[in-house]
Amino acid sequence: MEHHRKKPKGVIVRTSGVAWCVTVVAGASLALAACSSSANSGSAGGGSAAGKKYTIGVSFDLLNAIRQAEKTSIQNAAKAPGYSVVFDVADQDAQKQASQIQDLIATQKVNAVIVIAQDGQQIAASASLAKAHNVPFLAIDRSIADQQDVTFQITGDPVSDGKAVASQFLAAAKTTPLKVLELVGGLTDQNAIGRRDGFNAAMAGQPGVTIVSQVPTDWNPTEALDGTSNALQKDPTINAIYIPSDFLLPSVQSALTAAGRLAPVGDPKHVFMVTIDGDQNGCKAMQAKTLDADVATPVADFGKQAIAAITAALGGKAVTPKAVEAKGLILNQANYAATSGQVWGCASS
Amino acid sequence: MNRVTDTYRRLHAATRRQPLLPVLLVLLLALSLAYHGFASVTNFRNIAVQASPLIIAAVGMTYVIMTAGIDLSVGSMLFLAAAIESSHPVAGLPTAAVFAVICATGVGMGLLNGLAVALTRVPALIVTLATMQVFRGAGGHITGQQNIDLPANLRGIGTGSLLGVPTPILLAAVVALGGGFVFSRSTFGRYVQAAGSSPDAAVDAGLPTRRVIAGAYALAGLLAAVASLTETARLGAVQPSIGQGYELTVITAVVLGGTSLFGGRGSIGGTVLGALILTTVQTGLVFSGTSPYVFDIVRGGVLLAAVLAAGARWQKTRAGSRPAGRLVPHGTDRPAA
Repeated sequence: MEHHRKKPKGVIVRTSGVAWCVTVVAGASLALAACSSSANSGSAGGGSAAGKKYTIGVSFDLLNAIRQAEKTSIQNAAKAPGYSVVFDVADQDAQKQASQIQDLIATQKVNAVIVIAQDGQQIAASASLAKAHNVPFLAIDRSIADQQDVTFQITGDPVSDGKAVASQFLAAAKTTPLKVLELVGGLTDQNAIGRRDGFNAAMAGQPGVTIVSQVPTDWNPTEALDGTSNALQKDPTINAIYIPSDFLLPSVQSALTAAGRLAPVGDPKHVFMVTIDGDQNGCKAMQAKTLDADVATPVADFGKQAIAAITAALGGKAVTPKAVEAKGLILNQANYAATSGQVWGCASS
Repeated sequence: MNRVTDTYRRLHAATRRQPLLPVLLVLLLALSLAYHGFASVTNFRNIAVQASPLIIAAVGMTYVIMTAGIDLSVGSMLFLAAAIESSHPVAGLPTAAVFAVICATGVGMGLLNGLAVALTRVPALIVTLATMQVFRGAGGHITGQQNIDLPANLRGIGTGSLLGVPTPILLAAVVALGGGFVFSRSTFGRYVQAAGSSPDAAVDAGLPTRRVIAGAYALAGLLAAVASLTETARLGAVQPSIGQGYELTVITAVVLGGTSLFGGRGSIGGTVLGALILTTVQTGLVFSGTSPYVFDIVRGGVLLAAVLAAGARWQKTRAGSRPAGRLVPHGTDRPAA
């Protein structure tokens, strides 16, 4: 502070320098944002059956491979009725998502909102805001705790997916007893918990299968790599791994490679593995026969059913049912040729 | 008798210098006795390999925290470096050129942080919080948030070995020894300690504090990039969530190792021990077969212990020799260099 008084000129010069920097950075950011938003906006004429232009605001919690597929499914489904799509990503920040949705509704005046909620509880306030503005509010992929103001919701069924994974393990255990390493996703994530609980419930008390280790990964690839390495070190007789998402598959494969255990089906060293999602990692591993099965999320249904619900709501029709839980599609080595075409990740792998 | 006394004195002196050393040894001993298979060369090598990227990044963070700064962008720097490494123009270059590009990128990112901290009055916490988002966003833009497999030639740094010693361990050892040497034997290392210990006195003594601060952040950026090369090579792929939350682990290792969050006090050896303890605890948890929820409790407990110990050390130091009111952000009350 004393320095401010002694050399006010210098401070002014430096302050104006900082101001210029801020201006330049802000300008560059806005230009970049403008480019990004034009790239992210899918427009198909912005029309509807009634001739009125409709715009759908979309807010995702994050953007990764499955979110990209979900984004594409919405954009594709929006083409037929001619809706425009404005797309936002909240970078896993529930507060940021609430602001984005407020902006979509109050400033951009979108006609409907589709969200993948970062926080299933906090998002209720955004749903109430949408209802107050008479804007249909839809949730996909992740469920919303309070359904009162939600027009339509379509999610996967994580418990059912976990049970589907277990069915693959139980089928394999009929020929070879399995000692299973179970990786767990984020312990505060409802999908991770559902996938774990469904799997554990179906495996409990079944003959031929033993869960020898449960390792949390927090959906972090490094923790999955280290956790798998440690578990294999602790118990080298592990011969099966449940991976709760395809996106952790490369980490597990790296750990198996380091342990000399990554081998295709039929090789004595093969470790039986099943994952969920059906992304490119899973499909590549299925083709290489290092992965035994993958429970694929029906991503295309999310976009189709959400847009259909919006069309009904904007047309003044009742949306029924209000909530759908879409079960995953089991892709395994036996049905790969016939089924892979229906799996979103296999189309691009 | 004299030999026994000498050995005891040396051990006592080593323990006084690095109080974490007996903690690590007791931890390893306890886990070895408790769990079959823990006390094996393969497992100890596993722990060392897993700790290597953390050691590399934490050595850089030690320099930053020694200047009374902080770098929250380390995880994002790791991701952006990985994203650039996997991008088409870079991944196709010869291996040495890729490493050079990534190291230069790391220095650039660190320098951006350092210059912003040194030349403005904005606290490092705010500057690096902002760059954390910038770097992660840029990484996401480059990768399109997709998983990208790494070519085989770039995986050797994480999976290869030299004379039977895994490359990540060798790299971490070189970084730790080099970092320790620079820290204690070079002019730059002494300036870093002086700038963090007593910023006003450092300025009065004519030390180039701004250049020193910028240099510390640049070094942290460089080492984050090297950690990135090692980590992505181990994973075999670049994934969008690489480095997410990594800053917390790196800072925990540094603080656990005895470096004061208020600057001026710390050691590279302590940081290495801090990283090894964190990794050993993580491995021990898997061996224990405990509930996944206990992992978070233990990790949070270690962080809490580190912070409480750091607070106690600071109170002791403040009561002993320093005047109150040292908690000033970089640049405050300092004339232009």
